[in-house]
Formats: sequence, C-alpha cells, structure tokens
Amino acid sequence: MKWEQLCQGLAEEGFLRLACDIAPRLIQGTATTFQLTMLAIGLGLAGGILLALGRVYGNKLIYWVSTAYVQFVRGTPVLVQLFLIYYGLPTFEIRLDSLTAAIIGLGLNSAAYQAEYFRGAIQSISRGQMLAARAIGMTNLQAIRYVILPQALRIVIPPWSNELIYTLKYSSVAFIIGAPELMATGQIIASRNFRYFEVFLIVAFIYLVCVLIISKLLDIAEQKLKIPGLEMR
Amino acid sequence: MRAIVRWGVVVGVLAVALGIWGLAPQAQTQVFRVCSDIAWPPFEWVDAKGEFVGFDLDVMRIIAILKGYKITIQNLGFDSIIPAVQAGQCDIGASGFTITEERKKVVDFSDPYWESNQSVLVRADSGLNIITAFKPGNKIGAQRGTTGAQWVEDNVIKQGIAVELKLYETYPLAEQDLINKQLHAVVEDEPAAKVAVKASKGVLKIVGIIMTEERFGFLVRKGDPLKLLPRINDGMKEMKKKSIWNNLVEAYFGVDVNLERITQCWADLKGWLDKNQPEAYAENLAACMAGESYKKP
Repeated sequence: MKWEQLCQGLAEEGFLRLACDIAPRLIQGTATTFQLTMLAIGLGLAGGILLALGRVYGNKLIYWVSTAYVQFVRGTPVLVQLFLIYYGLPTFEIRLDSLTAAIIGLGLNSAAYQAEYFRGAIQSISRGQMLAARAIGMTNLQAIRYVILPQALRIVIPPWSNELIYTLKYSSVAFIIGAPELMATGQIIASRNFRYFEVFLIVAFIYLVCVLIISKLLDIAEQKLKIPGLEMR
Repeated sequence: MRAIVRWGVVVGVLAVALGIWGLAPQAQTQVFRVCSDIAWPPFEWVDAKGEFVGFDLDVMRIIAILKGYKITIQNLGFDSIIPAVQAGQCDIGASGFTITEERKKVVDFSDPYWESNQSVLVRADSGLNIITAFKPGNKIGAQRGTTGAQWVEDNVIKQGIAVELKLYETYPLAEQDLINKQLHAVVEDEPAAKVAVKASKGVLKIVGIIMTEERFGFLVRKGDPLKLLPRINDGMKEMKKKSIWNNLVEAYFGVDVNLERITQCWADLKGWLDKNQPEAYAENLAACMAGESYKKP
C-alpha cells in the first residue's frame, strides 16, 4: 500500500492528515539534517582536536595560527560564514553545492568551538602527568597519545554533547543557502499550504526527538567509557 | 557572588525598561503596517541609503495620503508575509503578490493592479534556449513561495521532466547563483527579470516568456477586519483618475529601467510625498526618468 493511500483515511484538512501527508518529505529533510550534522561534527572533531593541541602544545607559530582561527570563527556569525563560502567562493572559481557548502561551513564553525572544549579538558589534566610521561622516556607525541588524550576525551564528553546538540539545531540555518534539510523542507511546505503553525510545530517536534535521542546515546557512551577509580583533581 | 547578583539586577532592569519603551503608545492617527519583501526591483528594493523604494511602496504611500491614514513599511521575507498578515502582525501585504486560488483561501486581495508573465532567465553565454533550459537534470532557481517556483513545480516537474528546483530566500540570491554558474536558469516575473538583465550588464538574458497572465493584488487579513480593501481599491481608482498611476508606471516600468537613475530621481522628489502632493510627485518622477526637466519640492 502506498503512503498517500494510507493518509486518505484521515479527516481532510485535519492536523493528522497534514502530518501524514508531509511526513515523507519531512523524513527526507530529517535525513539530510542528520547527514549534515554528523559530517559537520566529524569535520569539527578532527579540526577541533588539532586546534586544541596546537593551542596547548604548539610552538609560537602554530599557537598563533590556531588561536587566530578560533577567534575569527567564534567572532563571526555562522550565517555570514555560510554566505562567504556559498556566494563568495565562486568569485575564485570554487563552486560547492549547497549541502557541501553547509557541511564545510558548519564543520569549520564547530571546529573552533570544539577546540575550546578540548583545550579546557587537556589543561585540566595536571602538568605532572606530562612530566612523568616524559621522565619514563615517552616522546611528547606518545605522552599526548597515551596519557593525556585518553583522559581528556573522557572529560570532554559532557560539554561536547552540548556542541553536538547545538550543531544539530544550528544546521537549520543552512536553509538560507538552499540546503534541503529539515527547516528548508518545512518552509517549502508551509509556503505552499500556509499552515505555518502546524508545519513548524511538527518540525519542532522532530528536532526535539532527535536531540533527546542524541542526549540519551551520549549518556550511554559516557557511562560505557567511564574508568572506575579514575578521578580528576 | 553578590557582585554578580547586583549586575544581573542592573541588566534585568535595563532590559525591562527598553522593552516598555518599545511598547510606548504610538501617535493618534491610524497607522497601518505594510509588509513587503524589499528585494525585488522595480516593485520594491532598498537603495544605497537604506530607503525603501519601488512601485508597490509608492502606491501604498500615495493611497495612504489620498485616504488619510499613515503607514509604516516593514521588510519581511516573501513567504513570511502571508502568515504575518494572517496573524495580524501586518495589515497589508504589498510585494507583487499574484492573486491565486491557494492564497485566496487564507487572505483577501484588492482589485488587481498589475499583469505579469513569467520569464526564463539564463546566462547570455550559456547558449540555452527556453526548451534546453528545462532539460532533465538541469538546476532551475526560483524564490520560495512565489508563483515562479510554483510554475516550475506544476508545469515542469509534475509533468515528468526531472529538473532540480532550487529555492531561495530572495530572487537576487537566485540571480547571483545563476551568475555564479550554479544554476541553469531562473524563472521569475518579467518586470523583475528585465531589471536583473539590466543590472547584470549583459551577463544574463531573458530567453523566453511564459504566458501565465498573472494578476497582482495587495492583500489583507481574511474578512478585511480593518476595512482596508475599499480604501485601497478606491485609492487606486483615484490615482488612475488623477493620472498619478500612469506617471508611476511610466517611471518604474518605462523602456529604460535603470535602478541608479530611479533611485536618484526618487531621492530628489520624495519631498513631494512628505508635502502630501502625490500628483506633483508622480508627474515629476516620470519627467525625471524620461530625462526631461523636473521640479524639486
């Protein structure tokens, strides 16, 4: 049985009928939102760890470059960044489709914020551990890889969950450059049937459910990764 | 800690004070809120000084003078205007709205004031014509919530021609994307497309007109609770009788649509509107646009 036929049974013009009719398009929008969020957060994770390490352990040049990046990105609105990437880059013959532009824009943006979370976590681990690791003959990189990061990555989970949730919600601004995510889908539907309140009520509900699911998963991850007896001082 | 509380109180009091100041009662004459998506020349656009210029807005200003009320103009996204009118956040929607059955279900329209067709805009160097522009797989741009977007959906995509319709916040963004080679064509109303061609200095061209024969109307809340439609319709009739209408049309849609020129003329002549003399305004605006001598207020 086709989806449209399934909806036929519901009262015409009613809320449930509307929800049923637009569900397939909203689900597609939600899938795009997920794709956008996950790729952006992944890009941000890789970038954020590198930037944080650069800001804590880097030499003068690396410190300066990564600090400048973090300040620039945090100091400018994400909408402006998206416009620069999507409408600005074609000036240099660089053309990205809107979804790619949104992923890169949100990813670069998230990297700056994640860098600060990671920096905080790394710096909360006492200096003595680094010195001890060096004293038993580890190189700097080994100490970071085997002593500092395993602890820092655990500490960072609670604040980092915030970043994931923010990115999911922030991804809604990508509608402005035409990325077909959930917000854009809602707007396109509402601009045709003028039932803004009902359509966006459903959109809000979908975002809420996504956020609740993500928070729960992160809670579980935090519990699973916990090392009994390890406490930070 | 106490310092934080103290500062918190100060900030809170300031915020509340600002809020109350914003809510202070307005002047006594009736003021209506006209909402428009001011990014669609020659019907409405924002000039270099940030002033709202355009045919729709002048018609609104002149009717207000003729009918003795005041207006404030608000710049809103095109597809937000109808919901804002429905919700009573705007009293009049004036943004080149085509009168459609779908829209008539949720708002009321004035008498039609303009007729327009859709046009197909491409890059001049693309070699596309009105047929090849809609080849399956091509990317077609339009503004969200417009009849242009609807036309592509209903008459191209639903007919089984799988073009990719990309929807934008405003038409100028779609035109920019066309210039940036991210789109094959843009579908939009003819007068605005002509302005885009002119402004692009030869980069864009119109390859065809689709005879949709749309009629534009001003729109108000369903049932017209503020009794605006009789005043708007009457005002338009009066404008036509006093040949204000013809002069405006000549100024904004004349052979040589030139945004810089009309912005200049408008800045020189808007004083006539402040003096409540719409006839002198329209006459001089047409003269200014035609390159004839005109009288500043």
